[in-house]
Amino acid sequence: MALPIVPRGDVPPGERLDFFKHICPPAFGGANPDPITPDRTIFRALLVGIELLLSDGGRVPMWIIEDTSDGTRTFPSKTIRVVRNEVVRCHVQCRENTHTIHWHGIEPTPMNDGVGKHSFEVDGSFDYQWQPRAAGTYFYHCHKNTVLHFEMGLYGLLIIDPKEPAGSPVTAPYKDGGPGFCAAFSPDTGHVIPYDVEAFWVSDDIDSRWHTLGHNAFMMKCDPDDPANPANFTQDGFLNDFRPDIFVITGAARRITDPTPFTAADSPLIAPTVRVGQTLLVRVLSAGYENHQYTLGLDALQIASDGRAYGEPPFQQYSRPVPLPAGEPLRLSTARRTDLIIRPTTAGVFPVTIEYFHRVSGKKLYSATTSITVTP
Amino acid sequence: MNRRDFLKTGMAGIAFLSLKTLGCSSSNSSGYVGDTYALTIGAALFEMIDGNKVFMWSFEDPQSGPHMPGPVIRVEAGEALRIFITNTLGENHSFVIPGVVDSGIIAPGETAVVIFTAPAAGTYLYLDPLNAPVNRVLGLHGAMVVLPKSGNTPYSTPTPAVQQLFNDLGTTAHFPKHALTPAGWQQARSRIWLLNQVDPLFNERAENGVFIDPADMKANFLPRYFTINGKSGAFAAHDEEIELEGRIGQPMLVRLLNAGLFTHSNHLHANHFYVTAINNVVQENVLAHDTFTTGAEDKIDWLVPFIRPPDIAGDPGIPLRDLIPNELRLTIGGDVGVPQSPLVFPMHCHNEVSQTAAGGNYPQGMVTHFEFLGDLDGVDFPNADKM
Repeated sequence: MALPIVPRGDVPPGERLDFFKHICPPAFGGANPDPITPDRTIFRALLVGIELLLSDGGRVPMWIIEDTSDGTRTFPSKTIRVVRNEVVRCHVQCRENTHTIHWHGIEPTPMNDGVGKHSFEVDGSFDYQWQPRAAGTYFYHCHKNTVLHFEMGLYGLLIIDPKEPAGSPVTAPYKDGGPGFCAAFSPDTGHVIPYDVEAFWVSDDIDSRWHTLGHNAFMMKCDPDDPANPANFTQDGFLNDFRPDIFVITGAARRITDPTPFTAADSPLIAPTVRVGQTLLVRVLSAGYENHQYTLGLDALQIASDGRAYGEPPFQQYSRPVPLPAGEPLRLSTARRTDLIIRPTTAGVFPVTIEYFHRVSGKKLYSATTSITVTP
Repeated sequence: MNRRDFLKTGMAGIAFLSLKTLGCSSSNSSGYVGDTYALTIGAALFEMIDGNKVFMWSFEDPQSGPHMPGPVIRVEAGEALRIFITNTLGENHSFVIPGVVDSGIIAPGETAVVIFTAPAAGTYLYLDPLNAPVNRVLGLHGAMVVLPKSGNTPYSTPTPAVQQLFNDLGTTAHFPKHALTPAGWQQARSRIWLLNQVDPLFNERAENGVFIDPADMKANFLPRYFTINGKSGAFAAHDEEIELEGRIGQPMLVRLLNAGLFTHSNHLHANHFYVTAINNVVQENVLAHDTFTTGAEDKIDWLVPFIRPPDIAGDPGIPLRDLIPNELRLTIGGDVGVPQSPLVFPMHCHNEVSQTAAGGNYPQGMVTHFEFLGDLDGVDFPNADKM
């Protein structure tokens, strides 16, 4: 007996253009349609090709977003830091092709959200605008053919700093590495607490086979008259087949066969040093396509996730900070962030492992080691 | 009634099942009092988003035929339920709600009956656990939603934090209510997102009657399609039972279940959501996220507050029609453009591998829409009536 066939469904005639936009977003550029005088303006351009250097002399092509105000070209792309409640304008320039920037965790209007299918892809330049109301750890990335563009390195940290309390020697936005202030449950200090040293664990995994592909690799054909026609689909892509062979913490990379620990020589932002009695803030971003697991050799306190400080009223009054005891693993799937506070009580070198587990099989693919050094 | 809902049936309604096999008569002589359902375990070819047809098994509502996933079982906590399950396929299958009920093996051509009392309110996955994960991943799964007998939350025994969150919806300055609708979460404002993935190589083996080794599937599963309630890409984005739609001040509950093997990391734009239950553990510490994990067999509840996207530049007290009048008036893209109003954002899995179909074709994977049709004061955004 022939099997029944369950069709995928039809494109309703009234939604044909919306289906088309989903697949082939329009291009747009210029000024923001509803501009507000900014308190701070950020400049970014994309894309720029750089090479990621491996310890064995290997090089992996990457795409990054440049800070055009000072020419910074790094992987990950340069961290953006702004102050809570500021009106931020981000002048984004596309040097070739079209791109977008999505401010992950920041929640503005669709045109300022940087998703092509709900607004447009930037042709030339555009002034994105938003006003962040919650301090914490976010990131920004290109949201075009995202499966490839995010993998290629078109992303960076985005940090919303709370304004400094009166009398502070440092002013927001703070320098990467600290000292500074962050949002955390602290009723006596207006839910803003100081930290002395800051670390970034931006973990990523790279499939070097993907890093030879073109900008629009394996995209569909654009057909406004019949946008979802099966003939428009490419069948030769392999962007479902991610096999990482390089593992990264905050821009420092190792091949899968290279167990060399990550040290302060890679970056003090990865392997920080603090004194007994000081406060260390670690901002964690899981930026790969596998499941990343972080295990610390000393006690920590999870104070925030995804740019929301646990316990901060009114929106976070339903939660409190969560202890993360030494040796207890913390696992994050892609795009999740968490902020950890560590207040060491004894001197020593404390190990940190970041393990990468396969998204389907759960098999461990790589184990990275780094450390937190505590001096007396 | 939601068209995916399971149809309750009296004994007359199951007359098409083999009553001989059941040893059951229409007089309901067993003394059972409660709702009766019927399910058929069958097979069909399901068309993927790119037109490829893939063999899958499914739990079917005998009155409406094959559907991916199986029909939703919706019950109230403590209600009695009876389900007849007929296996029309050529190999053994079963029907299990883990921790609740287990039919045991249902041989080819046989019908089993399970009778049970609906457990505490929450989100449950029903499945065939035989040869796990093979039968589940190849389609034999569905959702059961248990609603509480009373209260203003989705749970029988909410934690203090969850109770406070639901009490605050529409009654506090941070969760103002929409002018024309009641305060609080309305039960009808709920979605089920049953996530799954398809690797056609395994489906082809099942179609050809080849035994699939579970260890092989766990090690080598390489999905080419990523679905929400059986749909992908633009079709999932435009499905009225999948997309989140509402007005500012109308919160919505989303129940995510993952029947597959891939770890999803679903990201909602425009609002952080509260994770209120994880695998039916109502949370003591209710954390807000913009991205959260739904691993294999996980059941995760999100409360989406539907607040005005909080980081829109400008005075939060000004209605959006006055703050962003030009954006709301814009149509970008000329002749093939779509108006910028109402406000539409995406939800997508941020493991972008799952945004593909057939190895590319971004974004035709696990994605849907999050639509704000109107402002807090009861005035809809332009074009809201066309959604």
